[in-house]
Amino acid sequence: MIASILAQGTDWIRPHADWHALAPEIVLVVGINLVLLIDLWLDDAKKWMMATLTGFVLLAAFIPVVTLAVIGDDVRSMFFDRYVVDEYALILKAMFLLIGYVVVLISQNELEEGGYYQGEFYLMLLVSVLGMVMMTSSRDLVSIFVALELLSIPAYMMAAWRKRDTKSNEAGVKYYLLGVFASGVLLYGMSYLYGTTGTTKLTEIGAALAEADAGPGLIAMQVVAVAFIIVGFGFKVSAVPFHTWAPDTYEGAPLPVTAFLSVASKAAGFVGLVTMLYVAMFAADGVYQPFLWILAALTMSVGNVLALRQTNIVRMLAYSSVSQGGFILMPLAVLATGDAAESALKSVVIYLLIYAFSNLGAFAVILAVSRKTRSGEISSFGGLMSYAPGMGLLMTLFLASLAGIPPFGIWIAKLQAFKTVLDAGGTAAYTLAVIAAVNTVIAAAYYMKVLREMWMKPAPDGDTTPINTPQPIWAALTICAAGTVVLGILPGLVLRFADLQDLTGALGGG
Amino acid sequence: MSLFLRDYLTVVWFGLAAILLAGLLLGVAAAVRPSRPSKEKLIAYESGVDPVGMGWSQSQIRYYVFALLFVIFDVEAVFIFPWATAVERYGWFGLITMLIFIVLLLDGLVYAWKRGLLRWV
Repeated sequence: MIASILAQGTDWIRPHADWHALAPEIVLVVGINLVLLIDLWLDDAKKWMMATLTGFVLLAAFIPVVTLAVIGDDVRSMFFDRYVVDEYALILKAMFLLIGYVVVLISQNELEEGGYYQGEFYLMLLVSVLGMVMMTSSRDLVSIFVALELLSIPAYMMAAWRKRDTKSNEAGVKYYLLGVFASGVLLYGMSYLYGTTGTTKLTEIGAALAEADAGPGLIAMQVVAVAFIIVGFGFKVSAVPFHTWAPDTYEGAPLPVTAFLSVASKAAGFVGLVTMLYVAMFAADGVYQPFLWILAALTMSVGNVLALRQTNIVRMLAYSSVSQGGFILMPLAVLATGDAAESALKSVVIYLLIYAFSNLGAFAVILAVSRKTRSGEISSFGGLMSYAPGMGLLMTLFLASLAGIPPFGIWIAKLQAFKTVLDAGGTAAYTLAVIAAVNTVIAAAYYMKVLREMWMKPAPDGDTTPINTPQPIWAALTICAAGTVVLGILPGLVLRFADLQDLTGALGGG
Repeated sequence: MSLFLRDYLTVVWFGLAAILLAGLLLGVAAAVRPSRPSKEKLIAYESGVDPVGMGWSQSQIRYYVFALLFVIFDVEAVFIFPWATAVERYGWFGLITMLIFIVLLLDGLVYAWKRGLLRWV
């Protein structure tokens, strides 16, 4: 065994690296170094420059993504197919970079006024975004795990960023402990996959599992591996019953970080899960389909029921993001039924994209309003329409999108998810669709609760002084609102972009 | 059982042999030797020095920073040694890759140095 590994080493071939395809990552790495070093030699009075610099780094990393998409002719595969830049990777890279940019915009004032460690914060944010960008391209167990840790470890620290606040500390510690536990479970599952197939390359694992599935059937270790990997990512995407960290972490962490975690970190978990499911574990559908069915049904129901009872808006959005995760999981539960694979992939990507805009927008409004009210209670939104109609309209837009009301954003993603499940057919799929339909109605109830507060109720204590919103937050709101509206009205735009043949093509026409 | 798993059978046999051998040696020693404990003999062994204080004691939090910084060099060594065995084969590509890796690791050291963590206050 060892002799064979050593023998492989003798004919070392230089791996192929496509510099254009790697440019976003390279720009980010250079940017991370710049932010780190410039921050060290910068006066405290000039720390605000770090936000600008970070924003430029993210935009600079965006340029190669755009040029790659414009050229967009073929799949660029590097390091012996272990790192692949295809349409699926590009669209998600663009999403993560944009999320990073919006988070920089909304955290700028919060950090400046709170006197937090600004340089380090942006450094952590960039490192986390780098991990996410890497996750989209990783097609190897090792690089998926490295990307996952690269995006998680800075996030643990960011959750505990208000270091004198016990709630923030609690948020960080809970997130850290459960996150590390999840990584352990995931790694355990991965080690079984490696142990039974003898390779870490996802395409080869996929072929080995398909062969086993067609012939003697999966052995017990492989079944355990698939289950453990789903559990590991289940923590990351806060699927019930692995969601317990989410509400406490979301509530305790600084608001911009909560926005980042509930959107980017969750999306990265989904990206990892989808890559594993499609490229490596596709043939193990007997294992993951029922498992994901249960996870999806539980996640949307439990998340919704708990969200109904919340009086704190951040906790409410935390549970709502848990239940939205259930909707994203839903099409994956019928992944290998008939030819649902392509439609399911499209549905997940669109959902992640639009959900990112709407949820970030909702958090940006909460941030802007809480700058005045200093409160996270839903009742503090009373009378928002009377003194800040612009902000109120935006919040209405984002919440309507989250509730799935046409023509705003998420309805098209929900439609695609339902379509995938119904097309797949079968009792299980229909049952899941019914559960999802019921949940859509329940979800509307708690989003409406906030809207009623804003539109119908008077302002608390009759305090109707207008809110003073800094420009970066307005910029963030504009980006999010534009994304939510445009993607909702012109879904063709994103549907065309999400024509993701490449990832499914890797299965041999799966 | 696949060929790959059969390779691991060697590991299982090796483990069993190790447990058996160690158990045998310790067991024989325990059966043969006389047991006459005294107070001195039961003191925790700290390289010949009399132990001070309890087993549970507080230690300087500053050691923690140095432990973290040690990791930088530790990780560096873990990757450089295997790389060094085949450095000619990897050529310039390998050299530049390793230099980038080292620079990224040294970032951490520069940060610690500039923030004054290397000074023992």
